[in-house]
Order: sequence, then structure tokens, then C-alpha cells
Amino acid sequence: MRKEDTITLVSAEGFEFVIDRKAAVVSNTLKSMLSSSGGFKETEVGEVKLPEISTPVLEKVCEFFYWSLQFSNGIETEFDIEPEMTPDLIMAANFLHT
Amino acid sequence: MSLSKKKTFKIEPFKHKVEIDPRYAERTWSILEDAIHEIYNHNASGLSFEELYRNAYNMVLHKYGDKLYAGLVKTMTQHLKDMAKSVEGSQGGLFLEELNRYWGEHNKALQMIRDILMYMDRTYVPNYNKTPVHELGLNLWRDNVVRAPKIKSRLLDTLLELVHSERTGEVINRGLMRNVTKMLMDLGPTVYHEDFEKPFLTAASGFYRLESQEFIEFCDCGDYLKKAEKRLNEEIERVSHYLDSKSEAKITTVVEKEMIAAHMNRLVEMENSGLVSMLTDDRYEDLGRMYSLFKRVSTGLVLVRDVMTAHLRDTGKQLVTDPERLKDPVEFVQRLLDEKDKYDKIITSSFYNDKTFQNALNSSFEYFINLNARSPEFISLFVDDKLRKGLKGVSEEDAESILDKVMMLFRYLQEKDVFEKYYKQHLAKRLLSGKSVSDDAERSLIVKLKTECGYQFTSKLESMFLDMKTSKDTMQGFNSLLASSDNSDSPTLSVQVLTTGSWPTQSGASCNLPTEILTICDKFKTYYLSTHTGRRLTWQTNMGTADLKATFSKGQRHELNVSTYQMCILLLFNSLDRMTYKEIELATDVPTLDLKRSLQSLACVKGKNVLRKEPMSKDISEDDVFVFNDKFSSKFYKVKISTVAAQKESEPEKQETRQKVEEDRKPQIEAAIVRIMKSRRFLDHNNIVSEVTKQLQARFLPNPSVIKKRIESLIEREFLERDKVDRKLYRYLA
Repeated sequence: MRKEDTITLVSAEGFEFVIDRKAAVVSNTLKSMLSSSGGFKETEVGEVKLPEISTPVLEKVCEFFYWSLQFSNGIETEFDIEPEMTPDLIMAANFLHT
Repeated sequence: MSLSKKKTFKIEPFKHKVEIDPRYAERTWSILEDAIHEIYNHNASGLSFEELYRNAYNMVLHKYGDKLYAGLVKTMTQHLKDMAKSVEGSQGGLFLEELNRYWGEHNKALQMIRDILMYMDRTYVPNYNKTPVHELGLNLWRDNVVRAPKIKSRLLDTLLELVHSERTGEVINRGLMRNVTKMLMDLGPTVYHEDFEKPFLTAASGFYRLESQEFIEFCDCGDYLKKAEKRLNEEIERVSHYLDSKSEAKITTVVEKEMIAAHMNRLVEMENSGLVSMLTDDRYEDLGRMYSLFKRVSTGLVLVRDVMTAHLRDTGKQLVTDPERLKDPVEFVQRLLDEKDKYDKIITSSFYNDKTFQNALNSSFEYFINLNARSPEFISLFVDDKLRKGLKGVSEEDAESILDKVMMLFRYLQEKDVFEKYYKQHLAKRLLSGKSVSDDAERSLIVKLKTECGYQFTSKLESMFLDMKTSKDTMQGFNSLLASSDNSDSPTLSVQVLTTGSWPTQSGASCNLPTEILTICDKFKTYYLSTHTGRRLTWQTNMGTADLKATFSKGQRHELNVSTYQMCILLLFNSLDRMTYKEIELATDVPTLDLKRSLQSLACVKGKNVLRKEPMSKDISEDDVFVFNDKFSSKFYKVKISTVAAQKESEPEKQETRQKVEEDRKPQIEAAIVRIMKSRRFLDHNNIVSEVTKQLQARFLPNPSVIKKRIESLIEREFLERDKVDRKLYRYLA
């Protein structure tokens, strides 16, 4: 359902992940991207292409967004990360300023 | 639409990605450069944020941050130079608008660029101590546009011109002004301050200097103040509309300095419209305006206060020393009260109840009230007048307020003991003649005096009241005793028994009372002494009154109200028709001065001459003859002849009272000295004088030489001794 408050993140392989805007703005980069006053494409279409982030990494990132929201609401659970994914995850986090 | 190269990532653990293509940096940079161009040309909508962000990210990551930064500076500077050229080229009025427009555009672009280059801002900039993007953008704008040689002065001139034209009454585009000043403020406080504010303030001060000089030539004080106020409000409004709020204090200082401080003295002293005339004419609004304007200037209020004090002291002094006024003490005091009311009203309505002004008022009043040595006497006379007739028909609150005002004047007196003396005299007369309008008012005034000066001041006054009451009770007892025994043809006697210490001492003269009076007086004396043993009664013939029923030739009857002396004189005429002065004197034994006065009121006053005098002169001489006036007539049945009302004293009486006061002061001073020395043991001369003055100042201001004399006297009586070594030191002898 493409409504006003969802964002689509597209991975390097072309997978589309639909998440809430609220979750997306956990990432500062995405936040400023989406609220930038310039007429950038992203804001209009509501879609962000991330060709340097692979699909499994992007999936984990989205999970992280939701986990972060949950955590700040008081529900403290654990967030699992597989060690192999770690460097990629770090690079993605750096990129997304999360 | 992804333009990045598809690289295969070789993830080597614990190593950063190594750059692969040297020209990668060039390519990435040119993408970004193009993007910046597009942004400045308002073509941003075709761009992908993510792509640009990623490019910048990669550049920084691969250590090309320097290139990125330098490129940014170069590109931005170039664009700004173009903008500057365009602004320079614009004509006249459009200059500001163009500047404003480009500023807006630049800001927007800057924001977009900052968003894209956020990674660089976050990592590269702090590491290499570069200015962040936003600030960089502002600085570049500042250097290339605002401070561009052609633009800088033009900008300043335009702005100042606009402000000037607004001051002269034209309407300008305030929104535009606001944007421009905001721009200057955004560029940094120094920019605003140096490039605009300082010249603005200088221009303003020049403008107001000229204007104030012009105004002051043509306007009177009130108008000038109105104009100054208007300008001040204008400037404040201007600041709120399009200037930085920090400028408000600065510009108001400038206006105040030029319009008010520079001309303060001249304004206050302006003839016919300056402070003095405002005070005399009760111009509350003008005064209020002057107060609030001068309050802003540091010495303004001091000046106003000083001029007011000087003026007040002057008018007060005039009031107090004006010989005309001195003839009527009641009028005199009333004028003082009116003056006080006037200034109180001015201070409350125009000066916002400023305490310093209230103090100045008090000190001035204290100063000139005490200039006239008869002020205590006059105030007492005023009160006397009020309590006799002035408060008749006045409501209780009004009466209270009048008395409170009198108390206020009383506080200003330095010689309160003089007042006490006169008040006692006047009160005695009032009580004895029964002339007080309201007993409550009397008592309330006593209470006020007690609160102000303490119990000692009023103890005697209160005992006077007590005496009157006790006498009433005694009379009741006496009259019931009389009624039981048959004394129908003896005169009715009403006696007030006065305690000697409390009532004002008069020279207790006696006279020969006629026999009819004597019998009943003795009866009373026996009666009284039977109930109160160990007391001595003396008849005070100088304070009594008598009501006589007289029949004249045509058979008219009149009731005459006379003093005791006059009664003695008149009763002589029951047996004789003519008597000489000497005969009267012998028979009645009345003291000369009183006798003359009594005879004068009996024989020389028109309409009340129960006696006729030969010769018909105004003054009584020793050879005069007095005849009973058969033809006496009057419209009224009851005729009042005695003059017992309180008057202001004649010269000799005044001297006498003053002397008494001085005498009374001596023991008070001595008591104070002894008190002080007892606690201090030894003290030097100057300190004694100052302590004594401090202790006694509630009652009067002691004279240092008098204090010295008292010390000498105490030394003689061995209360104190002089120190053998230091002649100025005194020691207390137990």
C-alpha cells in the first residue's frame, strides 16, 4: 500500500523494502533526504535507491529501524547481528548516519 | 538512474576499501560540480539526492575530501561573483530587491548543498578544521557580495537613506528592510554591527542633533517633550519592525542623549513653560511625560528633583515669611496644607509616587516650616479653630483626614515642645469654656499625638480631660447636696477642679469675689475637702466665666456672659451707678492688665457696652469714670462679652512663652546628658553634643552652647567631672 507515510528503499539488486516514514527517519541521512527543501526526486516520489547496499544488509537495516523505534518506546529487546555481516553493516550505517 | 561504476567489492577484513580508479575522483567531482550548477540554476528537481550524497560520501571516504572542499569553494565563489555582478548592475530602487532575491536563492541552494554534503560536514570538516558548509556559504556570500567594493557602500547608503526618509515621514518597504537586516544579522553579529549598526547610529545621532536644535528654538517645553517622546517611540517601533532587537537599547540611548540629555538644563529652566511653571499650573500630563523621559537619562531625575526642591523651598519660604499671611494663622496653616496637597497630587499622578521625590518634598517642607519660629503656635491655633467650629457639620472621615493632615505638618516641626505648650494652653481654654465642637475629634487628635511622640507628650493632656470628667461627677454630688438644703436664691455654681501640674500654669492671681459668690464658693470648698483630704484648693479667678441676668431702664432683660473679673466689676454697679477706675480697682483687686482689658470689653465695644466710659476714648486710663449704661440694647437676649477665645499672642506674651519653653528644656537636656554619661562612663565633648541632639531631636533641636552650659552646671553639681589630662573628656561621677 503506497500511502503518504511510507518510503520505499531499493537495494543494489533491486529489491524494494517498504517501511514507514517514521522508521526511515531513524537514519539521519534519510531524514534530511526526505525533508530537504530542494526539489530532489526522492522527496517527490518517496523512493530511495541505495545501489551500494546489498539486499541482506538492507533488510537488516530496516529491521534495525523498527527495533530502534521499539527500544525508544520502552520495549527493550535484543538485536542480533551475524558476525559476517558486520563490516557491511558498519559501512551502511556510516553511509546512512545511523 | 545510477551512474556509479559497478565495482566488485573485495572485502578485505580490517582494511578500508582502496580506491581503484584515479580518475574516479575527477569523475565524481564533476558530477557534483554539475549538480551544484544545476542547483544554482534552479534545476534541482531532476537530481537524485541519494546519488549525490553517495558521491560525496565516496569522495570523502577515499580521501578526496580536500578536492571536494576546494571544488565547492571554487564553484560557489564563482556563482556568487555572478550574482554580485548582477546586483551591481541593477538600477536605483531595485538594488535592494535584487540583493534580497539573490540572498534568498543563495540560502536555498546552500541548504541543498549542505544536505548533500552532510557526510563531509560530519567527518572531513572537523578533522581538518575547516568551516562547515553552512557557515562557509555565509562567509563566501559576505565576502563576495555584501563586501564587494561596489556593493558595500551602496548597500549602506541605500539603507541609511531609507531610514532617513522614514524619519522624515515617508513610507518605506519595511518587509524588504527586514530581510536585508536579517541577512546582515545572519552573516554574523560583527557584520551587522560594523557594516550597518555603527553608521546607522552615527547617522541617527546626527539627525537628532539637528532636529533637537531646531525644535528647541521653536517649541516650548511641553511641546518639545511631546515631540521627543514621539521620536523615541518611533525609533523603538522601527527596531521592532526591521532591526535587530539588540539595537533597541543603543538607538534609544542615542535619541535620549541627543534630544534629552543635551538640552536638559535648558528645558527645565525654560521660562513660562519649564518645570517651574508646570508645577505651578498643575500640568500633570506634561510633568508625567517629563518624568518618564528624564528617567531614561542618568542625571535627568536628579535635575528635576533639584529644581523642584529649590522652587518648593522658595515658595514655602515666601509663604512663611509673608507678613500678610502671618496676620491670620488659620489661613497660614491652611495655605501650607494646600501646598502639601498640591505637591502630593503631583507626585502621585505625574511622578509615579517616586520615593526620592517624596523625600525631597518632606525635606523642603521641614526646611521652610521651621524658618518661621511661630509655626508651632500657628499650627496649634489652626487645630484650635477647627476643633471649635471648623469641624462642625463635617463627616467623621473628613474630620479624621483633616486631623491627619495636621499631624503631617506637625511631623515637620523641629520644635515640637513649643507646639505642646501652645496646644496645652489652647486646649485648656477650649475645655473650660466648653467650646469644643467634638469630644471625639479632640480625643482622636490626642491619640495621634501619642502615637507620634509617645506617652509623655500627651499624659498631661489626657489628665486635663480626666479632670473635666471628674469635675462633672463632683458637681453632680455637690448639686444634689445643695438641693437637699434650701438655697434657692444663691447663684448656681459650676466648678472645674484642675490638677495643678497638668494645666498650663498661669499666674494665679486672685481678686475680691463679691459676697454672694463667696458664700457658695466656700460651701463647695468644704464639700470637696470633705471627700478629698490632703488637698489644697485655689480659686483661679482669671479663667472663670459668669452668666448675669441684667435689667435695663426700659425693662429689657438680657443675659450677659462675662469673665469672672467682669462679673466682679459689674456686681459693684448693683450698689452704685458711677465708679471711677481707681474705685473699681480697689474694690475688686483685679490685676491691672486684666482690669484694663475687662473694662475695655465692657465699655468700649460697640453693641456690648454695658458700661459707659467718660471720656469716650478707646483706651482705659487711670482717671476714667464708668457709668452703668441704662440705655444698653441688643438684638439678642444673650450677650457674650468676655473674650476668652485663643488668639495669637502679643509680643510680650510670646516672649514669655518662649522663655518658659527654654526653661523647660534645660532639665530635659540635663536628663539626657546624665543618661548618656551613665551608660558610657566617659565621653568627649563633641560626642556628648551629638548624642544629646540625637536623643532630643524628637522634641526639639538643642543649641550646642546651651548644652555646654548644662554640662558646666552638672560639673558644678558634681554629676560629671573633667578629665585631668584631656580637657575635653568628661567622666560620670556615680
